Amino acid sequence: MEKMKLKLLYADLKSDIEIIETELEKALNSSSHLLNEASLHLLQAGGKRIRPVFVLLSAKFGDYQIERMKHIAVPLELIHMASLVHDDVIDDSNMRRGRHTVKAQWNNRVAMFTGDFIFARALEYVTVIDNPRAHQILARTMVEICNGEIIQIEDKFRMNQHIKDYFRRIKRKTALLIESSCELGAVVGGVDEQNIRRLKRYGYFVGMSFQIIDDILDFTATDKELGKPAGSDLLQGNITLPMLLLKDDAPMQPYLEKIIAGTLTEEERMKMLQYVRHSDAIKQATAISDKYLQKALKEVEALPKHPMKKKLRDVALFIGKRKF
Amino acid sequence: MHATNIQKAIQQLKESIFVRVRHRALLQYTGAPVVDENQLFFLLLPFLNGEPWHEGLQESATTVGIVQASLFEHDKIKEKDAISKEQQLTVLSGDYYSGRYYEILAHTGNIVLIQKLAQGIVERCEQEIAAYEHTYRTMEQWVNNLSLIETAIIRKFYEAHGFNKYSAVMVHALTIQRLQNEMDAFHRYALTAVGRAMEKCFGQQELKHLLTVAIEEQQKLLTAELAALQLSDELQQFIWRIVKVETR
Repeated sequence: MEKMKLKLLYADLKSDIEIIETELEKALNSSSHLLNEASLHLLQAGGKRIRPVFVLLSAKFGDYQIERMKHIAVPLELIHMASLVHDDVIDDSNMRRGRHTVKAQWNNRVAMFTGDFIFARALEYVTVIDNPRAHQILARTMVEICNGEIIQIEDKFRMNQHIKDYFRRIKRKTALLIESSCELGAVVGGVDEQNIRRLKRYGYFVGMSFQIIDDILDFTATDKELGKPAGSDLLQGNITLPMLLLKDDAPMQPYLEKIIAGTLTEEERMKMLQYVRHSDAIKQATAISDKYLQKALKEVEALPKHPMKKKLRDVALFIGKRKF
Repeated sequence: MHATNIQKAIQQLKESIFVRVRHRALLQYTGAPVVDENQLFFLLLPFLNGEPWHEGLQESATTVGIVQASLFEHDKIKEKDAISKEQQLTVLSGDYYSGRYYEILAHTGNIVLIQKLAQGIVERCEQEIAAYEHTYRTMEQWVNNLSLIETAIIRKFYEAHGFNKYSAVMVHALTIQRLQNEMDAFHRYALTAVGRAMEKCFGQQELKHLLTVAIEEQQKLLTAELAALQLSDELQQFIWRIVKVETR
């Protein structure tokens, strides 16, 4: 159902998205059969391709040429893919999107080489763009994503963290890459400065909403829908928004103590999920996500009249209302 | 150039690398970046041999050192159970250094080097992963594999700045160094991933023999290339010290 909605959303960009898919495949081509296999494994797992879509939609407000824009859209998706491969090593995750991760299918070292290979391919591909500003934006984004992840590891199991810590973390971890997708699409597409800023802010707000929804779904979606056990974030020590809103509730305490000690049983995980799902925290977190979504829609309103305005609105709403 | 000055130039480059990637949390958990001083020597070889050198080249050499440090961090990741906080942050330190080298080059507008280094990293990853491919390779292929792992990045730096004439010497010297490291690992019963793959191909005793022969062959090639390049005595002695051959 969600996949069908996404297909409909992308309908106007169908032929360009197909170009991106073909280029992704080409970019990942290697003389090593193992790297080919690992990369294909990742490509076949699919993904929403939202970063390339944001690049293309933003560029539509300028001088849109897919042959140029693909050199920004493809690297952004590659950087996202590479960071997922390395994240799975960090989180010791065996499943993603219902498939074995590269580290589970082979081992950590193969995953490290695969991630480095994909990062390098992204940079090789983006150097066709001879615009220092574009490279500066992308480079800054890569560094800040790492900073976000480093902070996330430092904050693991830190129950006394403030909600502001969480926002700072997800800004770097997720919102920044979506913000940069919009900004880079606009910059390379030659959009005027005022609208670059609007598209950039739109990307930031959508990115924040996207991550909050992701963090909610980690508790509310089923294991099957997630392709991994629900509650995985918390089990790994990542204290996300729903948990920050719930962590002081008395009934949560025994679960939290057991999670920190690493002794939570499967039965207790299911009971904890039931408790979280029926709590006010989910509603509160959804309301916060909605606020970001409204801010994103406000930025869209301020953009000049263009057929793609509706598309930007629809993509934001899809992201903010998705079920998994 | 006197050996003390060579060492001083290497230390300056090392310091410049450290300054550009300094990060509080990474320093605390994973320590300072690890850089191979012999690799830094070869980055500086054109300068040490009197080639025109400017701030831009020093900056480029620094970023290449950062790339090497990044890849070295990822080499520290264990095949299984990399779940400690230190291992997790080691993954990220490699990624962080990678972002930093790109950031520095993006600010100086050196798009050519960004591209060359990306190609070098691709080549290196393709060779590194060969150890896990379970494919039979001849010793010649393995030597080529180790050589590319050790030299792909510096070769790209030479290519980007027109220093190709130093490539052959650098390739043979760093290949000898790696083969000697593989031999040391063999004697310590602590084979690297490539070492294990080579052992599978040839067996223990044959591998020892093949490594010895390969080192000798590379030493002969290095001797010939050094004669052709006509470096100063000090630089030649420094290179022979790198490959652990004291007198020539």
